[in-house]
Amino acid sequence: MQRAQVMRGSWLGILVAVLAPAVGLAGQVPDDSNIRAMGFGDFNYLVTERDLKEGFRMGQMVGHVIADLDERFTFFGEVSLTGKDNGYSIEVERALIRYDFADEFKIAVGRFHTPIGYWNAAFHHGSWLQTSVARPEMIKFGSRFIPTHFVGVIAEGGLPGSSLGLGYKVGIGNGRAENIARAGDAGDINDHRAWVARVRSRPIAIVGLEIGATFYTDQLLAPDLTDTRERIYSVHAALDRDAPEILAEYAHVTHDPMTGSGSFPGSDGYYVQIGYRMSGAFRSIKPYARVEQVIVPNGDEVFEPLNLNYDGVVAGIRYDPGVFLALRLEYRWERFEGLGAFNSLYTQASFVLSGF
Amino acid sequence: MKGVDIVRSTVLALVMIAAAGPMVSSVDAQTEGAEAVAIVVHPEVTIDGLSFDQLKSIFLAEQQHWPDRSRITLLVRAAIAPERDLILSEIYGMTEDRYRQYWISKMFRSEVASGPKIVFSTDMLRDLVTVIPGSIGFVPVSEVGPDLKVIPIDGMLPGDEGYPLN
Repeated sequence: MQRAQVMRGSWLGILVAVLAPAVGLAGQVPDDSNIRAMGFGDFNYLVTERDLKEGFRMGQMVGHVIADLDERFTFFGEVSLTGKDNGYSIEVERALIRYDFADEFKIAVGRFHTPIGYWNAAFHHGSWLQTSVARPEMIKFGSRFIPTHFVGVIAEGGLPGSSLGLGYKVGIGNGRAENIARAGDAGDINDHRAWVARVRSRPIAIVGLEIGATFYTDQLLAPDLTDTRERIYSVHAALDRDAPEILAEYAHVTHDPMTGSGSFPGSDGYYVQIGYRMSGAFRSIKPYARVEQVIVPNGDEVFEPLNLNYDGVVAGIRYDPGVFLALRLEYRWERFEGLGAFNSLYTQASFVLSGF
Repeated sequence: MKGVDIVRSTVLALVMIAAAGPMVSSVDAQTEGAEAVAIVVHPEVTIDGLSFDQLKSIFLAEQQHWPDRSRITLLVRAAIAPERDLILSEIYGMTEDRYRQYWISKMFRSEVASGPKIVFSTDMLRDLVTVIPGSIGFVPVSEVGPDLKVIPIDGMLPGDEGYPLN
């Protein structure tokens, strides 16, 4: 599917089109319905020193649907609408069918959030779920550092009886498209599939804690059309709760030409985010902060031309006036390679439509 | 916009949020006054007991199938029921808001196909747990009748010393 498919028309019409299933289904269907829906959305206000348009911005409107196709087959779908200068782009973010054989083995085919690290699969387009306004740079919207989507087959499972809460995911797919920010939706660009393997632990004794590691490999085309082997090594530790919240993720990406000799230094990306929901009368307020960096050394033939080097510091406050609504005020200091350093202030309202 | 303006705007906005601060959301888990709860399952569920870790694993949806591969259906009382507060406190360790976010997040990540079935009364739960295959729920110990299959936790039943849901 082409991201450039732009819908023209009023934003209100689009909003209704995407979220109507969620509004219609959430909490209003009988409990034994085989279809469930959710919607996520956000509105933003931006002031910045960057060369960006300031003012009010429509964020993403995201619709989810989950349907039982059979006792063991389930469909998961996610469609997003993203505001652009000339309308809205529509994207099938996820569409997958999964067969649940047992807790130890489930297998799914379709388009996924690539199971690298934590944030990409845990929050992704569900902005209400995350504490901050936006994702870290290394997995930002349209990320080129980490392939955020994956088209293929993924097997997963866990050992539910273990107190360590061990689990795995193993997948094979198309890997990056010619535009490396895209998944290969219409087929692989070569005959070499991407592989991803992820293990994690969610100790039962500490609800919200997840520690994991991921390995991803693919063959892609560097800008000079050299066949290049990409390998991604990622580790993460996440205490995904309110007081405190600690999210940390690190990824090391290497690109080595398939022909010739030599190995090049890899690129690195990481973030550490800490939040803490206050107590008592102020428990609706959750201050947070994040530091992050993307480091691309000279010699990375894939990343170096893209000017991905980045430093960022984020500090903000999330305020929850209701269960399904979050207001955020976020200050950012960011330095982009070749552009300089900038201050920005984001204000955001995000929500979820859910019958839960 | 200049940096100093951004800093000024930030300070102003923080002051406004602080002024609105004492608005609070939802309910905290209140477990005072709750009596012990019994874990009950559908009569054909082929287990005779669970460890507390296994129970947590089931209620957290880390375990979604019984050993015979049949699907587990969670039955959870609607908000305000004291026994729900006890479960949120002792099994989930979450507030009501965080509990909702947990399940929305689970569905968003495609880790579960649905959240627990919401049950509006103990009578309704008693009825459902006897007719929905693979179901598991909880009831106040005083409401347990002979028609319910009660599962020991760590080998203990409600009222036993050390029972984790007393």
